[in-house]
Amino acid sequence: MIVAEQKPLSEIKEIIAPYKKILILGCGTCVKTCFAGGEDEVAVLASALRLACKKDGKEIEIEKLTIERQCEDEFIRESAPAVSRSEGVLSLACGAGVQALARRFAKTPVLPGVNTTFIGVMESQGIFTEECSGCGNCRLDIFGGICPVTRCAKKLLNGPCGGSQNGKCEINPDTDCAWQLIIDRLKALGQMDNLRKYIPPKNWRTSLSGGPRKLVREDHII
Amino acid sequence: MYKVIHHQTKTSLSGITRFRRFFSGHYTTENLRMLTSAMDKKFIPKITVFHCINAFSQTSWSSVDGSEFEIKFIKLPCSSMVKDVFLLRAFEAGADAVVVLVCPEGQCRYVEGNIRAKKRVAWVQNLLDDIGIDGRRLSLSNIAAGDTAEATQIIDDAVKNMAELGPNPAA
Repeated sequence: MIVAEQKPLSEIKEIIAPYKKILILGCGTCVKTCFAGGEDEVAVLASALRLACKKDGKEIEIEKLTIERQCEDEFIRESAPAVSRSEGVLSLACGAGVQALARRFAKTPVLPGVNTTFIGVMESQGIFTEECSGCGNCRLDIFGGICPVTRCAKKLLNGPCGGSQNGKCEINPDTDCAWQLIIDRLKALGQMDNLRKYIPPKNWRTSLSGGPRKLVREDHII
Repeated sequence: MYKVIHHQTKTSLSGITRFRRFFSGHYTTENLRMLTSAMDKKFIPKITVFHCINAFSQTSWSSVDGSEFEIKFIKLPCSSMVKDVFLLRAFEAGADAVVVLVCPEGQCRYVEGNIRAKKRVAWVQNLLDDIGIDGRRLSLSNIAAGDTAEATQIIDDAVKNMAELGPNPAA
């Protein structure tokens, strides 16, 4: 899932300052899971903004709505009536959702309420870790399901650097050495021979480094 | 909602008496200042108490301090039902202070409900500071089941704190 973090209240206040009537639009998928932009977070933010504006003597009208996903037009359409009533939309979705809304509602400012951070998982309750960089050429089959592109500080593809200590990365001792994890996993899977496979220098053109990407599935285009 | 106002016993002058004394030169500048401040609307703190029904029962509570305040009790099956938005809505509804009463750690019948409540209260306290209405208005206290005296003291302390914090600026 996409992990995001809600912006500080002071920043959000500054962003919505020009508007007297806003819609806080939540998203019921990724940002709900990481407690940044789901229905509960929309309610809390609306309440906090009302309190802050009242304290500052500012008038503001806040409408709240949460849709299933802000990255799909099928769900974005449901927010059209609420968007038409507002001067601006404070979207708590990831960057993709904010832009999808902006594309659909060209005449209404769409403002970001969260900082989109990474593709990751919930490692344990309340802790989210980055797992995937979206490099566009996945070889997790070789690495035992642990990605060195994302999790190795040096992005090494053919084995550890040798600088780790006690299973921790020499760059950041708070981070597990990805190659230690890979070797432990391959041992458990009985696939240590994978280490003998040579991975050539990575072609980054399939990643964001090659520019914004587009996926076209002709079989789904009517 | 329960409204508890404990009136302090003191003598007060009638309006006509004040009027006569004003024009007879009875009042000094200092007296006039005191008179006008007494005639200002008195701050009666509004306290909202969220409590776990296993920790506290409002039927056994009564304030003994003698100060004036309004109190509203919201009972919960477990303090873990205290959601961030409920605490904020209490302030939106006009509360000057919010008190959350929970079971002692290790004694929650639902194991970790009181710990969840503690974390949420801490989160909202920071949010109240960011909003600018002071996180000290919100407090959480652990009380043993049936310890009404402790609960009374906690609520009375919350009322006393209002003397320093004043009314909710966002009410």
